[in-house]
Amino acid sequence: MVIISQVILFAAAAPLLSGFIAKVKNNLRMRRGQGVFQPYYNLAKLFSKGEVVSENASWIFRAAPFVVLSTSLTAAILVPSFIFRSPAGRMGDFLALLFILALGRFFLALAALDTGSSFGGMGSSREMFISSLAEPAFCMAVFALSLRPGSTDISAFGAHPVTVSAALAGLTLFLVALAETSRIPVDNQETHLELTMIHEAMVLEYSGRPLALIEMAAYLKQLVFFFLIAQAVFPVSLPAGGAAAVFFWAVWYVFRIACVAFAVALVEVAVSKMRLFRAADFLGFALVLGIIASVCAILGA
Amino acid sequence: MQGIILFLFLISTYLMVVAKRMRALIRAFRYQSFFLFLATLAAAFSEKQGELFVVSGMILLIKVWLIPYYLEKTAQKIKVEGNLGLFVNSQLSLILALVLTYCSWALSRGLGFGDGRMESAAVTVALCGVFIGAFLMVSRMKAFTQVVGILAMENGVFLFASAVSGGMPFFAEIAVFFDVFISVIIMGIFVFRINKLFTHIDVDKLTRLRG
Amino acid sequence: MWNFLLERVFFIDPLALFFLAVIIIVSLPSFIYSFGYLKGEYSASRIRFVNFLLLIFVLSMVSVVSVKNCLVFLVFWEIMSLVSYFLVVFDSEHEKSVQAGLVYIVMTHIGTAFIIAAFMILRNYAHSFDFFAIKEACKIMPAAVKDTVFLLFLAGFGTKAGIVPLHIWLPYAHPQAPSHISSIMSGVMIKTAIYGIARFVLFILGVNSAWWGILILVLATITCLTGVIYALMERDLKRLLAYSSVENIGIIFLGVGLAVLFTSLKLHYLAVFSLAAGLYHLINHAVFKGLLFLCAGSIYKATGTRNIEKLGGLIKKMPQTAGYFLLGAMAISALPPLNGFVSEWLTLQAFFLGAFRTGGGNAIFLGLCAAMLALTGGLAAACFVKAFGVIFLARPRSHYAEGAKEVALSMRAGMLILSVFIVALGLGAVPALKLLAGIAGSALGIDTGSMSFSLNNFIIAPQSAPRNCLSTPWLALWLVVFGAAGFWVYRLSGAGKPVRYKTWDCGYYKLDARNEYTAAAFSNPFRVAFNFFLLSYYNSRKIWSSFYRVKSFSYETHTTQVFKKYIYDPAIALIFRSARLMRRMQPGSIHLYLGYIFAALILLILFMGKF
Repeated sequence: MVIISQVILFAAAAPLLSGFIAKVKNNLRMRRGQGVFQPYYNLAKLFSKGEVVSENASWIFRAAPFVVLSTSLTAAILVPSFIFRSPAGRMGDFLALLFILALGRFFLALAALDTGSSFGGMGSSREMFISSLAEPAFCMAVFALSLRPGSTDISAFGAHPVTVSAALAGLTLFLVALAETSRIPVDNQETHLELTMIHEAMVLEYSGRPLALIEMAAYLKQLVFFFLIAQAVFPVSLPAGGAAAVFFWAVWYVFRIACVAFAVALVEVAVSKMRLFRAADFLGFALVLGIIASVCAILGA
Repeated sequence: MQGIILFLFLISTYLMVVAKRMRALIRAFRYQSFFLFLATLAAAFSEKQGELFVVSGMILLIKVWLIPYYLEKTAQKIKVEGNLGLFVNSQLSLILALVLTYCSWALSRGLGFGDGRMESAAVTVALCGVFIGAFLMVSRMKAFTQVVGILAMENGVFLFASAVSGGMPFFAEIAVFFDVFISVIIMGIFVFRINKLFTHIDVDKLTRLRG
Repeated sequence: MWNFLLERVFFIDPLALFFLAVIIIVSLPSFIYSFGYLKGEYSASRIRFVNFLLLIFVLSMVSVVSVKNCLVFLVFWEIMSLVSYFLVVFDSEHEKSVQAGLVYIVMTHIGTAFIIAAFMILRNYAHSFDFFAIKEACKIMPAAVKDTVFLLFLAGFGTKAGIVPLHIWLPYAHPQAPSHISSIMSGVMIKTAIYGIARFVLFILGVNSAWWGILILVLATITCLTGVIYALMERDLKRLLAYSSVENIGIIFLGVGLAVLFTSLKLHYLAVFSLAAGLYHLINHAVFKGLLFLCAGSIYKATGTRNIEKLGGLIKKMPQTAGYFLLGAMAISALPPLNGFVSEWLTLQAFFLGAFRTGGGNAIFLGLCAAMLALTGGLAAACFVKAFGVIFLARPRSHYAEGAKEVALSMRAGMLILSVFIVALGLGAVPALKLLAGIAGSALGIDTGSMSFSLNNFIIAPQSAPRNCLSTPWLALWLVVFGAAGFWVYRLSGAGKPVRYKTWDCGYYKLDARNEYTAAAFSNPFRVAFNFFLLSYYNSRKIWSSFYRVKSFSYETHTTQVFKKYIYDPAIALIFRSARLMRRMQPGSIHLYLGYIFAALILLILFMGKF
């Protein structure tokens, strides 16, 4: 029951987050830009459109959207939301999250190669490159976060005071999230130029309803990452008191995710996209940050 | 009686040293083995051991008849000229053989056989056979003489064993016979093959093969 | 006589039983596979010969893991190496097979030499070749001797397993053997080296020093990364799989190294847990690498080439083989809910739990190793996306791929059996883990009766941190449920079937097979990023037909074989140089040699006579 409600909540909120980031970016660029609910309209439009599938494609191309969506939803139910215990927490922990997202990525990369277009190959090659370099940084961040509670359960690092190590780990996760959710400085979601596409290149051949499913999966993954960063940097615990306290608690709960989104938008606007091979340095920096976070955690800070 | 046999053994050994052709060498070897047979027979009579009779019979069969026959057949098959290449010419070889005889006498004295006359003579002659067999291997060019040299050393060892201890344990003797026989066959095969490949059995020329 | 054999020679304990199970699980499907594989390639008498060799090979491996006497172990170890050499050079018409066999036999004998040295030292202390007698004697052995023996065993068994830098025989030998032999070699034979380490270091020697575990962990991490990076660069399918075996051996050694480390630190639960993780990865790797090699053999038989750059589009022509390869690729990339995922998760958990308990510098070291393991997992996934994508997807790149057809039933049956094991070991993780924990406990000499590894039959949860859970059946269930939900949403929300048309490719309609991404292009970012290690060099040439038009453009890139160039080639050159020096002392004349011998003899006699 809780699982279903968490799924519906996440699925409903995910496009809103994307729209919020886009709105902030546009405002920072002194434009009015699209509305906050634009992603919903986009999804609705995609659901109404027909579908064109390449002749070269096999069943992997047809099946990949469903796999990606299911892995994102599974990742979503692993994350502890408003009840502080992952509804499916007995199913997997932080490390399992890493591998579940890898499953979705694997199939998407294969589907990109399936159509036989050069863009797809380019996208999947770059995506596997960036994600394999992001994995050690993610792992170190998990390590730093789990040293204090002594457990890699996602619910475990929720309720503790802010520590330097947790903040640094949150920063590492932030950098990894920039890589995984295809944000500048690693990838640009708004472009379709061959030199600059990674995630967009992989989904270039998709159209119609499968494309909507893939987009939904991307929004969900983004929400999961931001949630984890927010939980690391601004941890919250259960509210106490009456309805007013709960209300303010809920506002703070949403506000911190909005803060993370705001930070992402700021980075996207302020920094330019890096060359692909510089992304390796970027993620190496994230790894070093994760190591520093672990050292701080061991030292007890 | 035994002294004469030993003396004849020594003479046939010298005959092997001065032999210049292959057939002469094989013939000298045959004589040496025959006198070994006689010596073993004498030891068998004096010791009254049945096994020694069998051993002497085997010496007669294998070393006097079979092995020289096989060697002569191989020599015929490879059809090389019967000249044994000599590093050291005949006369000098004979002098060196005499020197080796003196060495073996000194050695037998050193080993402690100095008192009993017949025993010391037997040991001297036996060791002389060993050393001269070794000398043959070193100073002759053709691969054939390596084989005959080993066999001559073998004869010397046999003589030593039968003179000193009344023969080795029976099974040891049988085993040695078998080893010798097989070794000769293998060496014969090898000589044949060396000849086939290189069309000569001049071992000295084989130095060009070195790695 | 049977009693004698059973008592004095053979000895089956849980560890031996486990390895016997691994041997049989991989050998039987490979044997079934070989019926179809060998049928067109060789004559009937050759096939009988290769089956005979295979039987001896499997029997020798079975004997290696079940004897308790050092000498008998060595005999069967040598038989195993020799028979596998004959199998590697079976295709002796190809010059490459002969060269591969030479590299293999030399390396394996170097390893055996180390093992023999270690056995000799142990015999010196125990005055017996029996395992149990040696185990008793090892309790009172001085520490320096134990360290030496440990290093000798590590070098010896490491050569057979394929630890860097002793791994160079693997990419030579595995591609040249017939495919079902490659699967047995890669799946089982290199695991007998792990048996050797587990038996001799953990069971017999007994671990006392912490630096042993740290050394194994460092070597294992380097092995993982080296193996997977070289695998990414390969375009010969079987060499790719061979390098991937090197990587997975590294992962198994990570588990074993952790077990060694934790035993020396007296953390018994963690030692059992990490050894169980290592053994789990062992059987997982045996199964999925065996399957992948069988698939590679099917591809070779159907198309006639192992070069993946010439393949493509095989998923439509060989759908079943493609399905099995996909399953194997998913398993080796550690994707849930299959078995590779479980064992990598367990290894990572072992690292984390160890770091929680030890603290300080050790914790950072373990965390770093865990991060490197995560890196190799990501790189392995990239490698197999490349392999599967370039071989099976999109359009055929050459006539080799166009003429492909699905393979014979026996080959598919062999692959099916191994796929069933992959799924079973993935979903049935908890019973498997309990079994392996028992085996690990018996190998380490720790009683596991009171240890718990799971909450119930579906959820793995380590005892020291019961909230880190993993449940592959639940994961599989939810993945399927959500996938079905997505599919339902897809079907309900619109009508009409998809239109099949040419690939859009931003509007470029002259798309053909030359436009597809090649394997070299796929791995180019990795080549650039790891250039400090790969030392690759490029060579490109443009031929202009006029000032503005390029007529042809060729691009060549090679990676330097670092280990061969900087370690092995200099060593071999040194050996040849010193041999050439010694040749000057060799006159070559038999007479001179004989003269030396006799002169020495006479001198000795005179010398001894004087005294």
